Amino acid sequence: MKILVCIKQVPDMESRFKVNADGVWYDERDLAFRMNEYDEYAVEQAVRIKEQLGGAADITILSIGPARVVEAIKKGMAMGGDRGVHVKDDSLAQRDPWQLASTIAAFARSKNFDLIFTGMQSQDRGSTQVGAILAELLGYACATTLIGFELNGDVVTARRELEGGVKAIVRFRLPAVVTCQLGLNTPRYPTLPNIMKVRQKELLAFPVADFLTEESLTITEKMYLPEKKGRARVLEGDVSQLADQLLAILKEKTTVLR
Amino acid sequence: MNFDLTEEQKLIQETARAFAQTELEPVAARLDQTGDREIFLGNLKKLAELGFMGLNIREEYGGAQAGMIAFSLALTEIARACASTAVTVSVSNLVCEVIQSVGTEAQKRAYIPKICSGENAAGSFALTEAGAGSDPAAMTTTATLDGDAWVLNGSKRFISSAPYAGVFVAWAVTDKTAPKGKGISCFLVEAESEGLVIGKAEEKMGQHASATNEILFNDCRIPKDALLGQINGGLRVAVGELTGGRVGIGSLALGIGLAAMDYATRYAQERIQFGQKIANFQAIQWMIADSYTELEAARLLLMQAAFRRDQGQSFVREAAMAKLFATEAANRACYTALQMMGGYGYSRDFPLERYARDVRVTSIYEGTSEIQRLIIAREILKNVNHE
Amino acid sequence: MKTLLICEYRQGKLLDVSYELLAFAERLGADKAMLLIGDESQAPKFGGKVYLADAGKYGEYNPDAHKQIVLEAARREQADLIVFVHSSYGWDLAPQVAASLRCAQVSEIVGVVESKFEVAACNAKLRRIATPKTPQAALTIQAGAFGYRGEAQGTPQIERIEIPAGPARIEFVGYEAAEKKELDLAKADVIVSAGRGVGKKDNVTAIAALAKALGGELGATRPVVDAGWVEHSHQVGSTGQVVSPKLYVACGVSGAIHHLAGMKNSEFIVAINKDKDAPIGEVADVLVVADVMQLVPALTAKLAK
Repeated sequence: MKILVCIKQVPDMESRFKVNADGVWYDERDLAFRMNEYDEYAVEQAVRIKEQLGGAADITILSIGPARVVEAIKKGMAMGGDRGVHVKDDSLAQRDPWQLASTIAAFARSKNFDLIFTGMQSQDRGSTQVGAILAELLGYACATTLIGFELNGDVVTARRELEGGVKAIVRFRLPAVVTCQLGLNTPRYPTLPNIMKVRQKELLAFPVADFLTEESLTITEKMYLPEKKGRARVLEGDVSQLADQLLAILKEKTTVLR
Repeated sequence: MNFDLTEEQKLIQETARAFAQTELEPVAARLDQTGDREIFLGNLKKLAELGFMGLNIREEYGGAQAGMIAFSLALTEIARACASTAVTVSVSNLVCEVIQSVGTEAQKRAYIPKICSGENAAGSFALTEAGAGSDPAAMTTTATLDGDAWVLNGSKRFISSAPYAGVFVAWAVTDKTAPKGKGISCFLVEAESEGLVIGKAEEKMGQHASATNEILFNDCRIPKDALLGQINGGLRVAVGELTGGRVGIGSLALGIGLAAMDYATRYAQERIQFGQKIANFQAIQWMIADSYTELEAARLLLMQAAFRRDQGQSFVREAAMAKLFATEAANRACYTALQMMGGYGYSRDFPLERYARDVRVTSIYEGTSEIQRLIIAREILKNVNHE
Repeated sequence: MKTLLICEYRQGKLLDVSYELLAFAERLGADKAMLLIGDESQAPKFGGKVYLADAGKYGEYNPDAHKQIVLEAARREQADLIVFVHSSYGWDLAPQVAASLRCAQVSEIVGVVESKFEVAACNAKLRRIATPKTPQAALTIQAGAFGYRGEAQGTPQIERIEIPAGPARIEFVGYEAAEKKELDLAKADVIVSAGRGVGKKDNVTAIAALAKALGGELGATRPVVDAGWVEHSHQVGSTGQVVSPKLYVACGVSGAIHHLAGMKNSEFIVAINKDKDAPIGEVADVLVVADVMQLVPALTAKLAK
């Protein structure tokens, strides 16, 4: 079983974000980067499959980005990946999902992966596109937003999380691309001995130009901070009118009354 | 010159932080107030399984071989959430290191893997006695050879982890006639040893979750090969190996200090008095500036000491400086942070009062600040020529 | 500009969120056509063209077939924009449609600024203007961002779509209903909390009723829990649970710092309090100055309608 896990390194979402000098992305300076949370579930699921198969699986952890992303790749390897692939790209922020998926597809095309795991979205760009585009480019089956995954032979039975707590059970054959939702499993912490042993594993590096031939299909024209909350809007008056006023505000400002 | 951590060190720090914030922080206040040992020991076991009990131990004995910088980073992160857990991790690491450093191959294989894997909840140091604290050479516990066994008699005080430690590294006088400090030996005493009695628990000001007890040796018989290191060479082991422990305790103190200041600083950004955030007041800003400057200096001293150790250089002076400065800076930081929060700082609804209690002992155990100063001065003076 | 709006349909029903697609297209001032893969009886109340493919034949969830149907509708409509809801359905299908067409996709649109698409980034801490470089594009829009106002009305002109049978690589096995779980306030979208200002234990029932009417959970402050009015599992604050729901309604909550620590990161905060100067006003988006026990039952009654 050949497994590819595509991960991204993203800033800690608790950070304070500033817009960079170009005004089209966030300023990466002073941010602490870590593995995209959704991708931790992807790595964990891949490692569980390998364990289920008694070790008869080979897991490649791939990430695209500048030198800093090696840390996230190494975390994936410490969690149980067999090999790391660093696609070196100092212009990651300018790539759109189409380019990222095309790059991964170019890497993966000749390698006959049986299963490709990735997070359902990245925490920074949040486009929810790369996995599904990748499946389309490779001609693989695609199942997204998984919170359950069971492999029997080459058949996967999976649970997709829909809205309102409803789940859908789906079944498909390998090869496939699957995207992982939070809660799919409980990602393990890498153990310290495994972190130290990552050095003994293979870490391949390629310039992005080896795989990327596509132009972007979307551009970010501008990035900015949303408007700040002011102080509370004060409503006073007759109770019945207040109730109507409040419900109107809730309809307008929140999504809970849909 | 390079201040960057390696990727491995960053990952270890991240793992420690994630574990501490997820598993330790949510229960820390409860463990402090109720002393719930089951949860505490459960967390120690998980930390062992992740490799935190043998950070500097060779792989063949079940360690991570990650170095002292990683050890320092990990302890700071753990202590940010729970100081009791951090001190247990620090001491257990130290026990493993002492055995690795002076033990026989059989001793290493018998004891280190058990602590590293969590089979033993902790390792314990039994050096201090009622009349031998800063002056360990004044100890009165004795060990005499009786056939193929050593027989220990005496008592030890303030012994961390005593009720759940699997093995004690214990010191006893083996040659009463030798000059002071030259007749002390070191032994490995298993928890189940005949004549080893766990005495009364210390009622402490802080670090409540970790146990601190008296232990008694009542004709405690241990095998002849339980001698750790050379006969009558025990005190050198204690003095030498505790150097690494100083980096551990300094790092632990730093973690408590940072936790306190981080909490109080967030509070200052939210607390409104006189119609504005108290963080707007210069009085508060100076507290923030001074405390974080001191904590940053502490971090750099700790990193330097750990770096020298990882490079195989002498680090006695640096470790003592780091422990002295970090623990005192952390004590000041906790005092300041509590002050910033006023009445809320003094309330058990907020963690500041716990931090303030937990941090106090860091400038006392594993060498008081005064002893650190003696070591620092001795190290400096011995290098200054005199006629 | 022509939009093809892809309706959401599940368990035999058109989902209301589909109407938000209309609101979005109206915001753009674009021509609208809709696509429903469902049953004709569930066709949206919309006085324009609705392409209809039979879910009985193609399945409610069958990405391979649905992709072909969307592509066919887009071809017939010559749609410039193929618009999905940013949902499990849109996440799944939109990128596969866009990739088939080699066209741009813009996801999670939360606004339209000067006819351009505004999308959220970094947990909604940032906004981006994202623009397709291709003439045609797939879009997903954030539910709730374009709130469909008014009653949907109109009779659609139905145009049926049939596609040749093809392989379905993803087999849909069935739905699993939402399970009733133990109380986990952190997962609730709506929390309505009782503070000491509700007056007495019996009044908590009214607060719980509002929580239920809003599809949320009951929360409580520490004094209310300490007084035994509400179980501890409902406590929000530094010594209870830390929550950040989409809507937090604080009823008779003064805003002690312990409590604020547990809820101030909620997306939208409503405070109902007699005291206009209560500190809860510092974190609230809306402060309703009223007697909790008058306003809350009135709200619940109006929601029931």
